[in-house]
Amino acid sequence: MSETPAIRKIDRRRKAVPVVLLAASLLTLTISTRSLEGLPKRVGVSVFGFFQKGFSAIGDFVSNTTSSIAELKRLRKDYDELLLKMESYSNLERGYAEIRQENERLKEQLGYTSNLQYERIPARVIAKDPENVYATIVINKGIEAGIRKNMPVIAFQDGIEGLVGRVVEVGQGSSIVIPLYDTSSYIAARLATSRYEGLVTGHGSSDKPLVMKFVKKRAKDEIQFGDLVVTSGYESLYPPEISIARVSKVRALDYQTSIEVDLEPVLDFSRMEYVFVIKPEATADTGMTDAAAPAAPQDTGK
Amino acid sequence: MIRTIIFSTLLVLGSSIIQSTWLGAIAVFGVIPDISLVVLVWVSYKNGLVEGPITGFVSGFLEDCLSASPLGFHAFIKTFVAAISGLLHGSFFIDRIFLPFAMGAVGTILKALAAALLSLLFGAKIQTYDFLDRVLWIEAAYNGLIAPFLFLFLGALKKLLVTESKRE
Repeated sequence: MSETPAIRKIDRRRKAVPVVLLAASLLTLTISTRSLEGLPKRVGVSVFGFFQKGFSAIGDFVSNTTSSIAELKRLRKDYDELLLKMESYSNLERGYAEIRQENERLKEQLGYTSNLQYERIPARVIAKDPENVYATIVINKGIEAGIRKNMPVIAFQDGIEGLVGRVVEVGQGSSIVIPLYDTSSYIAARLATSRYEGLVTGHGSSDKPLVMKFVKKRAKDEIQFGDLVVTSGYESLYPPEISIARVSKVRALDYQTSIEVDLEPVLDFSRMEYVFVIKPEATADTGMTDAAAPAAPQDTGK
Repeated sequence: MIRTIIFSTLLVLGSSIIQSTWLGAIAVFGVIPDISLVVLVWVSYKNGLVEGPITGFVSGFLEDCLSASPLGFHAFIKTFVAAISGLLHGSFFIDRIFLPFAMGAVGTILKALAAALLSLLFGAKIQTYDFLDRVLWIEAAYNGLIAPFLFLFLGALKKLLVTESKRE
Protein backbone atom coordinates (compact mmCIF):
# COMPACT_ATOMS: atom_id res chain seq x y z
CA MET A 1 0.00 0.00 0.00
CA SER A 2 1.42 3.43 -0.99
CA GLU A 3 1.84 6.20 1.60
CA THR A 4 -0.17 9.37 1.25
CA PRO A 5 1.71 12.73 1.10
CA ALA A 6 0.30 13.62 4.55
CA ILE A 7 1.76 10.46 6.15
CA ARG A 8 5.10 11.07 4.45
CA LYS A 9 5.10 14.62 5.81
CA ILE A 10 4.45 13.42 9.37
CA ASP A 11 7.14 10.78 9.00
CA ARG A 12 9.64 13.39 7.81
CA ARG A 13 8.77 15.60 10.78
CA ARG A 14 9.29 12.71 13.20
CA LYS A 15 12.67 11.98 11.67
CA ALA A 16 13.64 15.64 11.99
CA VAL A 17 13.13 15.63 15.79
CA PRO A 18 16.46 13.97 16.74
CA VAL A 19 18.33 16.10 14.20
CA VAL A 20 16.91 19.30 15.69
CA LEU A 21 17.72 18.11 19.22
CA LEU A 22 21.28 17.14 18.31
CA ALA A 23 21.75 20.58 16.74
CA ALA A 24 20.38 22.21 19.90
CA SER A 25 22.84 20.18 22.02
CA LEU A 26 25.73 21.25 19.85
CA LEU A 27 24.64 24.88 20.04
CA THR A 28 24.46 24.65 23.82
CA LEU A 29 27.92 23.08 23.92
CA THR A 30 29.30 25.81 21.71
CA ILE A 31 27.99 28.44 24.07
CA SER A 32 28.87 26.62 27.28
CA THR A 33 32.45 25.79 26.32
CA ARG A 34 32.96 29.51 26.01
CA SER A 35 31.86 29.79 29.63
CA LEU A 36 28.52 31.52 29.13
CA GLU A 37 26.82 28.77 31.07
CA GLY A 38 27.08 30.26 34.58
CA LEU A 39 23.48 30.76 35.58
CA PRO A 40 21.69 27.61 34.34
CA LYS A 41 24.52 25.46 35.66
CA ARG A 42 24.39 27.10 39.09
CA VAL A 43 20.64 26.65 39.27
CA GLY A 44 21.04 23.02 38.23
CA VAL A 45 23.73 22.36 40.82
CA SER A 46 21.46 23.85 43.50
CA VAL A 47 18.39 21.86 42.51
CA PHE A 48 20.11 18.53 42.00
CA GLY A 49 22.32 19.04 45.02
CA PHE A 50 19.10 18.99 47.02
CA PHE A 51 18.10 15.61 45.58
CA GLN A 52 21.60 14.21 45.87
CA LYS A 53 21.63 15.20 49.53
CA GLY A 54 18.36 13.33 50.03
CA PHE A 55 19.53 10.20 48.24
CA SER A 56 22.86 10.32 50.02
CA ALA A 57 21.11 10.66 53.40
CA ILE A 58 18.88 7.65 52.70
CA GLY A 59 21.88 5.60 51.56
CA ASP A 60 23.83 6.60 54.66
CA PHE A 61 20.92 5.71 56.92
CA VAL A 62 20.61 2.23 55.46
CA SER A 63 24.33 1.48 55.46
CA ASN A 64 24.83 2.96 58.94
CA THR A 65 21.98 0.90 60.38
CA THR A 66 23.18 -2.35 58.89
CA SER A 67 26.79 -1.84 59.89
CA SER A 68 26.15 -0.58 63.41
CA ILE A 69 26.76 -3.94 65.10
CA ALA A 70 30.10 -4.45 63.41
CA GLU A 71 30.89 -0.83 64.19
CA LEU A 72 30.25 -1.37 67.91
CA LYS A 73 32.61 -4.34 68.01
CA ARG A 74 35.26 -2.38 66.21
CA LEU A 75 34.75 0.59 68.53
CA ARG A 76 35.28 -1.63 71.53
CA LYS A 77 38.54 -2.90 70.07
CA ASP A 78 39.58 0.62 69.09
CA TYR A 79 38.78 1.85 72.58
CA ASP A 80 41.09 -0.69 74.17
CA GLU A 81 43.84 0.17 71.70
CA LEU A 82 43.35 3.88 72.25
CA LEU A 83 43.70 3.50 75.99
CA LEU A 84 47.12 1.99 75.42
CA LYS A 85 48.03 4.63 72.88
CA MET A 86 46.90 7.46 75.14
CA GLU A 87 49.30 6.28 77.78
CA SER A 88 52.22 6.48 75.38
CA TYR A 89 51.03 9.81 73.95
CA SER A 90 50.91 11.42 77.35
CA ASN A 91 54.60 10.61 77.61
CA LEU A 92 55.25 11.98 74.14
CA GLU A 93 53.36 15.19 74.87
CA ARG A 94 55.90 16.27 77.41
CA GLY A 95 58.65 15.95 74.86
CA TYR A 96 56.53 17.70 72.20
CA ALA A 97 56.07 20.82 74.31
CA GLU A 98 59.81 21.19 74.60
CA ILE A 99 60.36 20.62 70.88
CA ARG A 100 57.66 23.14 70.00
CA GLN A 101 59.27 25.82 72.13
CA GLU A 102 62.60 25.09 70.48
CA ASN A 103 60.94 25.21 67.03
CA GLU A 104 59.41 28.62 67.76
CA ARG A 105 62.78 29.96 68.81
CA LEU A 106 64.46 28.64 65.65
CA LYS A 107 61.70 30.03 63.44
CA GLU A 108 62.11 33.42 65.02
CA GLN A 109 65.80 33.32 64.21
CA LEU A 110 65.05 32.36 60.57
CA GLY A 111 62.59 35.22 60.08
CA TYR A 112 59.26 33.39 60.21
CA THR A 113 56.49 35.17 62.08
CA SER A 114 53.72 32.62 62.39
CA ASN A 115 52.35 29.41 60.96
CA LEU A 116 50.04 29.34 57.99
CA GLN A 117 46.43 29.75 59.00
CA TYR A 118 43.50 29.22 56.69
CA GLU A 119 39.83 29.41 57.37
CA ARG A 120 38.44 25.99 56.53
CA ILE A 121 34.86 25.11 55.73
CA PRO A 122 34.16 21.47 56.61
CA ALA A 123 31.98 19.58 54.14
CA ARG A 124 30.84 16.03 53.48
CA VAL A 125 31.14 14.18 50.19
CA ILE A 126 27.56 13.36 49.14
CA ALA A 127 27.93 12.20 45.55
CA LYS A 128 30.27 11.60 42.67
CA ASP A 129 29.91 12.21 38.96
CA PRO A 130 27.13 10.05 37.49
CA GLU A 131 29.36 9.15 34.54
CA ASN A 132 32.70 7.37 34.45
CA VAL A 133 34.19 9.80 31.96
CA TYR A 134 34.21 12.77 34.34
CA ALA A 135 35.64 12.50 37.84
CA THR A 136 33.97 15.03 40.09
CA ILE A 137 32.94 15.03 43.73
CA VAL A 138 29.82 16.74 45.11
CA ILE A 139 30.00 18.21 48.61
CA ASN A 140 27.14 19.30 50.84
CA LYS A 141 28.12 22.97 51.22
CA GLY A 142 27.65 25.81 48.77
CA ILE A 143 27.14 29.56 48.52
CA GLU A 144 25.30 29.59 51.87
CA ALA A 145 28.47 28.37 53.62
CA GLY A 146 30.65 30.93 51.86
CA ILE A 147 32.07 28.63 49.21
CA ARG A 148 33.05 30.22 45.91
CA LYS A 149 34.33 28.94 42.59
CA ASN A 150 38.01 27.93 42.44
CA MET A 151 38.48 27.60 46.20
CA PRO A 152 40.98 24.85 47.03
CA VAL A 153 39.78 21.72 48.80
CA ILE A 154 41.85 19.61 51.19
CA ALA A 155 41.25 16.57 53.36
CA PHE A 156 42.87 14.78 56.27
CA GLN A 157 43.63 11.08 56.19
CA ASP A 158 45.74 9.17 58.69
CA GLY A 159 46.95 12.48 60.10
CA ILE A 160 48.12 13.79 56.73
CA GLU A 161 46.75 16.97 55.19
CA GLY A 162 46.45 16.47 51.45
CA LEU A 163 45.11 18.36 48.46
CA VAL A 164 41.81 17.11 47.03
CA GLY A 165 41.25 19.61 44.22
CA ARG A 166 39.27 22.79 43.65
CA VAL A 167 35.66 23.91 43.48
CA VAL A 168 34.40 24.26 39.90
CA GLU A 169 30.67 24.85 40.38
CA VAL A 170 28.80 26.26 43.36
CA GLY A 171 25.12 25.81 44.12
CA GLN A 172 23.08 27.15 47.00
CA GLY A 173 23.69 24.16 49.27
CA SER A 174 26.14 22.03 47.34
CA SER A 175 29.25 22.36 45.21
CA ILE A 176 31.09 20.36 42.59
CA VAL A 177 34.79 19.72 43.21
CA ILE A 178 37.20 18.66 40.52
CA PRO A 179 39.81 16.30 41.99
CA LEU A 180 43.51 16.71 41.36
CA TYR A 181 43.61 13.52 39.27
CA ASP A 182 41.23 15.00 36.69
CA THR A 183 42.81 15.60 33.29
CA SER A 184 41.78 19.25 33.35
CA SER A 185 43.44 19.91 36.71
CA TYR A 186 46.90 21.52 36.70
CA ILE A 187 48.66 22.32 39.95
CA ALA A 188 51.90 24.24 40.37
CA ALA A 189 53.98 22.03 42.64
CA ARG A 190 57.45 21.43 43.97
CA LEU A 191 59.39 18.59 45.51
CA ALA A 192 59.44 19.13 49.24
CA THR A 193 63.08 18.15 49.73
CA SER A 194 64.95 19.17 46.56
CA ARG A 195 62.56 22.13 45.89
CA TYR A 196 62.44 21.52 42.12
CA GLU A 197 59.23 22.78 40.56
CA GLY A 198 56.80 21.23 38.09
CA LEU A 199 53.17 20.98 37.05
CA VAL A 200 51.03 18.16 38.45
CA THR A 201 48.17 16.73 36.44
CA GLY A 202 46.19 13.49 36.40
CA HIS A 203 44.91 10.82 34.06
CA GLY A 204 41.24 11.12 35.03
CA SER A 205 41.16 8.20 37.46
CA SER A 206 42.19 7.88 41.08
CA ASP A 207 43.65 4.44 40.26
CA LYS A 208 46.21 5.87 37.87
CA PRO A 209 49.28 7.81 39.04
CA LEU A 210 49.52 11.58 38.83
CA VAL A 211 52.23 13.06 36.65
CA MET A 212 54.55 15.91 37.52
CA LYS A 213 55.66 17.51 34.27
CA PHE A 214 58.31 20.07 33.31
CA VAL A 215 60.70 19.14 36.11
CA LYS A 216 64.25 20.22 35.31
CA LYS A 217 66.43 17.39 34.02
CA ARG A 218 69.16 18.00 36.57
CA ALA A 219 66.67 17.09 39.32
CA LYS A 220 66.81 13.45 38.20
CA ASP A 221 69.68 12.49 40.51
CA GLU A 222 68.18 14.25 43.50
CA ILE A 223 64.70 12.75 43.35
CA GLN A 224 64.16 9.75 45.58
CA PHE A 225 61.33 7.22 45.63
CA GLY A 226 58.78 8.39 48.21
CA ASP A 227 59.77 12.07 48.09
CA LEU A 228 56.86 14.33 48.96
CA VAL A 229 55.43 16.77 46.40
CA VAL A 230 53.68 19.88 47.72
CA THR A 231 51.89 22.87 46.23
CA SER A 232 54.26 25.71 45.34
CA GLY A 233 51.64 28.44 45.80
CA TYR A 234 52.76 30.24 42.64
CA GLU A 235 49.55 29.96 40.67
CA SER A 236 47.51 31.75 43.40
CA LEU A 237 44.71 29.16 43.54
CA TYR A 238 46.35 26.78 45.98
CA PRO A 239 48.13 27.88 49.14
CA PRO A 240 51.76 26.74 49.38
CA GLU A 241 53.07 23.62 51.14
CA ILE A 242 49.97 21.45 50.94
CA SER A 243 50.90 17.80 50.38
CA ILE A 244 49.87 16.41 47.00
CA ALA A 245 51.58 13.08 46.40
CA ARG A 246 54.72 10.98 46.75
CA VAL A 247 57.18 10.06 44.02
CA SER A 248 56.68 6.56 42.61
CA LYS A 249 58.69 6.67 39.39
CA VAL A 250 60.98 8.99 37.45
CA ARG A 251 60.86 8.98 33.66
CA ALA A 252 63.65 10.67 31.74
CA LEU A 253 64.03 10.54 27.99
CA ASP A 254 67.17 11.73 26.24
CA TYR A 255 65.35 13.84 23.67
CA GLN A 256 63.30 15.72 26.27
CA THR A 257 64.48 18.82 28.05
CA SER A 258 62.60 17.99 31.23
CA ILE A 259 61.66 14.85 33.12
CA GLU A 260 58.29 13.45 34.14
CA VAL A 261 57.69 12.09 37.60
CA ASP A 262 54.91 9.62 38.40
CA LEU A 263 53.23 10.29 41.74
CA GLU A 264 50.94 8.44 44.13
CA PRO A 265 48.45 10.81 45.83
CA VAL A 266 48.82 11.09 49.61
CA LEU A 267 45.04 10.76 49.91
CA ASP A 268 42.99 7.67 49.15
CA PHE A 269 40.08 9.12 47.18
CA SER A 270 38.01 5.95 47.38
CA ARG A 271 37.51 6.34 51.13
CA MET A 272 37.14 10.09 51.30
CA GLU A 273 34.12 11.19 53.33
CA TYR A 274 34.91 14.64 54.65
CA VAL A 275 36.83 17.51 53.11
CA PHE A 276 37.71 21.11 53.97
CA VAL A 277 37.27 24.00 51.59
CA ILE A 278 39.92 26.66 52.13
CA LYS A 279 38.93 30.31 52.07
CA PRO A 280 41.91 32.00 50.40
CA GLU A 281 41.01 35.47 51.63
CA ALA A 282 41.91 34.31 55.12
CA THR A 283 45.49 33.65 54.04
CA ALA A 284 46.70 37.18 54.51
CA ASP A 285 49.68 36.03 56.56
CA THR A 286 51.80 33.66 54.50
CA GLY A 287 54.11 33.10 57.37
CA MET A 288 57.21 34.68 55.91
CA THR A 289 58.60 38.10 56.40
CA ASP A 290 61.54 38.18 54.06
CA ALA A 291 61.39 39.29 50.47
CA ALA A 292 62.21 35.83 49.17
CA ALA A 293 59.00 34.37 50.53
CA PRO A 294 56.64 32.81 48.00
CA ALA A 295 53.67 34.89 46.93
CA ALA A 296 50.54 34.51 49.00
CA PRO A 297 47.36 33.37 47.35
CA GLN A 298 45.42 36.48 46.48
CA ASP A 299 42.59 35.85 44.10
CA THR A 300 39.65 33.68 44.84
CA GLY A 301 39.05 32.54 41.37
CA LYS A 302 38.72 33.62 37.83
CA MET B 1 3.21 11.15 24.28
CA ILE B 2 3.90 14.02 26.67
CA ARG B 3 3.11 11.77 29.62
CA THR B 4 5.59 9.19 28.32
CA ILE B 5 8.30 11.83 27.91
CA ILE B 6 7.73 13.23 31.42
CA PHE B 7 7.82 9.82 33.13
CA SER B 8 10.78 8.62 31.08
CA THR B 9 12.74 11.80 31.78
CA LEU B 10 12.06 11.53 35.49
CA LEU B 11 13.15 7.90 35.49
CA VAL B 12 16.36 8.60 33.55
CA LEU B 13 17.15 11.54 35.81
CA GLY B 14 16.40 9.56 38.98
CA SER B 15 18.75 6.86 37.68
CA SER B 16 21.50 9.46 37.21
CA ILE B 17 21.08 10.66 40.79
CA ILE B 18 21.22 7.07 42.05
CA GLN B 19 24.38 6.55 39.99
CA SER B 20 26.03 9.57 41.57
CA THR B 21 25.12 8.63 45.14
CA TRP B 22 24.58 4.91 45.72
CA LEU B 23 26.20 3.00 42.89
CA GLY B 24 29.73 3.80 44.06
CA ALA B 25 29.19 0.90 46.47
CA ILE B 26 28.96 -1.61 43.60
CA ALA B 27 31.70 -0.12 41.44
CA VAL B 28 33.97 -2.62 39.69
CA PHE B 29 37.55 -1.30 39.45
CA GLY B 30 36.08 2.13 40.17
CA VAL B 31 33.59 1.86 37.29
CA ILE B 32 29.88 2.29 37.96
CA PRO B 33 27.10 1.05 35.66
CA ASP B 34 25.18 3.63 33.64
CA ILE B 35 21.62 2.64 34.46
CA SER B 36 20.24 5.89 33.08
CA LEU B 37 21.66 4.97 29.67
CA VAL B 38 20.12 1.49 29.76
CA VAL B 39 16.74 2.99 30.71
CA LEU B 40 17.03 5.47 27.85
CA VAL B 41 17.92 2.76 25.34
CA TRP B 42 14.82 0.77 26.34
CA VAL B 43 12.52 3.81 26.27
CA SER B 44 13.84 4.89 22.85
CA TYR B 45 13.62 1.42 21.34
CA LYS B 46 10.03 1.04 22.53
CA ASN B 47 8.85 4.54 21.52
CA GLY B 48 10.80 5.41 18.39
CA LEU B 49 12.31 8.59 17.03
CA VAL B 50 10.34 11.27 18.87
CA GLU B 51 9.83 10.33 22.53
CA GLY B 52 13.29 8.73 22.96
CA PRO B 53 15.44 11.61 21.65
CA ILE B 54 13.32 14.22 23.48
CA THR B 55 13.74 12.22 26.71
CA GLY B 56 17.47 11.91 26.02
CA PHE B 57 17.85 15.61 25.28
CA VAL B 58 15.95 16.84 28.36
CA SER B 59 17.46 14.32 30.80
CA GLY B 60 20.94 14.82 29.34
CA PHE B 61 20.61 18.57 29.66
CA LEU B 62 19.62 18.21 33.31
CA GLU B 63 22.37 15.65 33.91
CA ASP B 64 24.91 18.22 32.77
CA CYS B 65 24.02 20.07 35.96
CA LEU B 66 25.10 17.06 38.04
CA SER B 67 28.45 16.82 36.35
CA ALA B 68 31.51 18.92 35.59
CA SER B 69 30.83 18.42 31.90
CA PRO B 70 30.04 21.49 29.78
CA LEU B 71 26.35 22.19 29.28
CA GLY B 72 25.16 20.23 26.26
CA PHE B 73 27.61 17.33 26.60
CA HIS B 74 25.22 14.76 28.06
CA ALA B 75 22.33 16.28 26.08
CA PHE B 76 24.12 15.48 22.83
CA ILE B 77 25.29 12.02 23.90
CA LYS B 78 21.91 10.95 25.21
CA THR B 79 20.05 12.35 22.18
CA PHE B 80 22.50 10.52 19.91
CA VAL B 81 22.11 7.17 21.69
CA ALA B 82 18.33 7.61 21.88
CA ALA B 83 18.11 8.48 18.17
CA ILE B 84 20.03 5.33 17.17
CA SER B 85 17.91 3.19 19.52
CA GLY B 86 14.76 4.89 18.19
CA LEU B 87 15.77 4.12 14.60
CA LEU B 88 15.68 0.43 15.49
CA HIS B 89 12.18 0.76 16.96
CA GLY B 90 10.31 -2.51 16.51
CA SER B 91 13.00 -4.05 14.29
CA PHE B 92 13.40 -7.16 16.38
CA PHE B 93 11.89 -9.05 19.25
CA ILE B 94 13.68 -8.49 22.57
CA ASP B 95 14.36 -11.76 24.37
CA ARG B 96 15.10 -12.06 28.06
CA ILE B 97 18.90 -12.11 28.09
CA PHE B 98 20.90 -11.84 24.87
CA LEU B 99 19.39 -8.74 23.23
CA PRO B 100 19.14 -6.73 26.46
CA PHE B 101 22.83 -7.51 27.07
CA ALA B 102 23.73 -6.46 23.52
CA MET B 103 21.66 -3.27 23.74
CA GLY B 104 23.25 -2.27 27.07
CA ALA B 105 26.78 -2.92 25.82
CA VAL B 106 26.31 -1.38 22.36
CA GLY B 107 24.57 1.65 23.89
CA THR B 108 27.68 2.24 26.01
CA ILE B 109 29.95 2.03 22.97
CA LEU B 110 27.67 4.45 21.10
CA LYS B 111 27.93 6.81 24.06
CA ALA B 112 31.74 6.62 23.87
CA LEU B 113 31.63 7.25 20.11
CA ALA B 114 29.43 10.30 20.60
CA ALA B 115 31.83 11.63 23.25
CA ALA B 116 34.76 11.04 20.90
CA LEU B 117 32.95 12.96 18.17
CA LEU B 118 32.39 15.89 20.53
CA SER B 119 36.02 15.74 21.58
CA LEU B 120 37.01 16.07 17.93
CA LEU B 121 34.76 19.09 17.51
CA PHE B 122 35.44 20.89 20.79
CA GLY B 123 38.96 19.71 21.66
CA ALA B 124 40.34 19.61 25.17
CA LYS B 125 37.22 21.05 26.78
CA ILE B 126 35.51 17.71 26.29
CA GLN B 127 36.68 14.61 28.11
CA THR B 128 36.18 11.31 26.42
CA TYR B 129 36.68 7.59 26.90
CA ASP B 130 39.99 6.04 25.99
CA PHE B 131 39.07 3.12 23.73
CA LEU B 132 42.20 1.26 24.82
CA ASP B 133 41.46 1.71 28.51
CA ARG B 134 39.59 -0.82 30.63
CA VAL B 135 37.02 1.74 31.89
CA LEU B 136 34.92 1.75 28.71
CA TRP B 137 34.91 -2.03 28.33
CA ILE B 138 34.12 -2.68 31.98
CA GLU B 139 31.25 -0.21 31.76
CA ALA B 140 29.97 -1.79 28.54
CA ALA B 141 30.02 -5.25 30.11
CA TYR B 142 28.48 -3.96 33.34
CA ASN B 143 25.67 -2.17 31.49
CA GLY B 144 25.10 -5.29 29.43
CA LEU B 145 24.86 -7.43 32.55
CA ILE B 146 22.36 -5.20 34.33
CA ALA B 147 20.27 -4.58 31.19
CA PRO B 148 18.24 -7.87 31.36
CA PHE B 149 17.17 -7.07 34.94
CA LEU B 150 16.40 -3.43 34.14
CA PHE B 151 14.44 -4.36 31.01
CA LEU B 152 12.38 -6.77 33.10
CA PHE B 153 11.63 -3.98 35.57
CA LEU B 154 10.89 -1.45 32.82
CA GLY B 155 8.53 -3.91 31.15
CA ALA B 156 6.36 -3.71 34.25
CA LEU B 157 6.18 0.08 33.85
CA LYS B 158 5.20 -0.09 30.17
CA LYS B 159 1.97 1.82 30.75
CA LEU B 160 3.93 4.82 32.00
CA LEU B 161 6.93 4.64 29.70
CA VAL B 162 5.52 3.63 26.31
CA THR B 163 3.04 5.67 24.28
CA GLU B 164 -0.29 3.86 24.03
CA SER B 165 -0.23 3.44 20.23
CA LYS B 166 3.17 1.72 20.42
CA ARG B 167 2.41 -0.83 23.13
CA GLU B 168 2.46 -4.43 21.89
